[in-house]
Amino acid sequence: MCQAVLKHHQLLPLLPRFNIKLGFGEKNVEEVCRLNRVNTDFFLEIANAYLDEDYIPQTDLSLFPIGSVVAYLTSTHDYYLHIALPKIESKISRLLEGSNLSEKERGLVAGFFDDYKKEFLDHISREEDSVLPYILELEKQSMKEEPDSGFLRSLQNDTIKEFAQEHDRLENSLENLSKLIIKYLPPFEDFDLCHQVLTDLSDLVRDLVDHAHMEDKILVPRVIELEQQLTRKFNAG
Amino acid sequence: MKQVNFILAVESYLVRKGMAVVLQRIPGASVVKEFGSVDLLTRYLEHHGMDFLIISDTLFANATDLYMNNPALLERTILLNRDPSAEDRGKKTRGCISLSEEKEEIISKINELLNPYFRDYRANTHGSLTDREKTIVRLLSMGLTNRQIADRLFLSTHTVTTHRKNIIHKLGIKSVSGLTVYAIVNNIITIDEVTSKHER
Repeated sequence: MCQAVLKHHQLLPLLPRFNIKLGFGEKNVEEVCRLNRVNTDFFLEIANAYLDEDYIPQTDLSLFPIGSVVAYLTSTHDYYLHIALPKIESKISRLLEGSNLSEKERGLVAGFFDDYKKEFLDHISREEDSVLPYILELEKQSMKEEPDSGFLRSLQNDTIKEFAQEHDRLENSLENLSKLIIKYLPPFEDFDLCHQVLTDLSDLVRDLVDHAHMEDKILVPRVIELEQQLTRKFNAG
Repeated sequence: MKQVNFILAVESYLVRKGMAVVLQRIPGASVVKEFGSVDLLTRYLEHHGMDFLIISDTLFANATDLYMNNPALLERTILLNRDPSAEDRGKKTRGCISLSEEKEEIISKINELLNPYFRDYRANTHGSLTDREKTIVRLLSMGLTNRQIADRLFLSTHTVTTHRKNIIHKLGIKSVSGLTVYAIVNNIITIDEVTSKHER
């Protein structure tokens, strides 16, 4: 495990999402996963997909319980809200404080980030308040002999299709901010801090792309499959 | 985002992986399963669906039973030929790709296949703003309200609202500040022309 993280330090942000802590000693990936009650195959698939966008899953991802996918997505949301965004926000405000930007330019950057954060929060709370609970309930119902008729009726509402279609591309908008800094704003005095902001932004964009990929390519198809199974069962019975 | 599922059936590991990497480059295309033999493929298809099957000419020749039992599969098959001159040979598959083709050729062939699936999706993400929409983004960045924009362009506020909805749909950006930054980095407006919040 130590070697994997040393060689690919980009994996570090993933560890807390699985509640894995450092201090691995001589333990290998499987041992670390077992100790933390993480499904090793699931961890490996996520880690590989995170490192290489061309990576093709080796294990049939539909084998993993939806619950663990949802748990991973939720802890990723926590990371965005409590770590990634506040970190960028405070660096941006420090960057603006020490800059020669005009009032208008400052307002542009600060206003952009404020509104971005609001949209981001909206998006995540919509997901956590309606979409993810719906998916967990779907999995629970699909394991029952007799699913609740009330829930079955709500299946007709196309919750997940709507979600998949409306799935905002949260990362595109962030890239505009980097472009603005690199191309259009007057240069910042503190280049090192500016460098950090741009690096953090680009890390976050990459992470968001990976996150959307998980949702679109793994979660949504699985949910559609479960919905269809349930509907068939219901119509047959 | 809509997803089109591909299955790969190619005996060569390297060719299979290579094909999978090319497919990953195509938005919306997803490889759900890979097979190196007809047996496993047949068993999988008994229980699972997919949109397209990319199969090598060698495996295709071994899969006569599979196609006999399931003739509709031909319509969703893309043949991967080793011999570049071996066209479809009257096999009535959906299309064919040759191993000697360049990446761009392969991608454009597959994109053509995907077009009917993606008409909506592509229009949304790849379509850029119309001139009218750009004008509206520009005026929004200058601090005008929907009402003011409507007056300026001799439109109803309802029409302006519709334009704004389409803009949000195309760009995925809702806030005026987000649209302003979009407008600057896409040269729709300069920073000097932008009205800052406290000037409004």
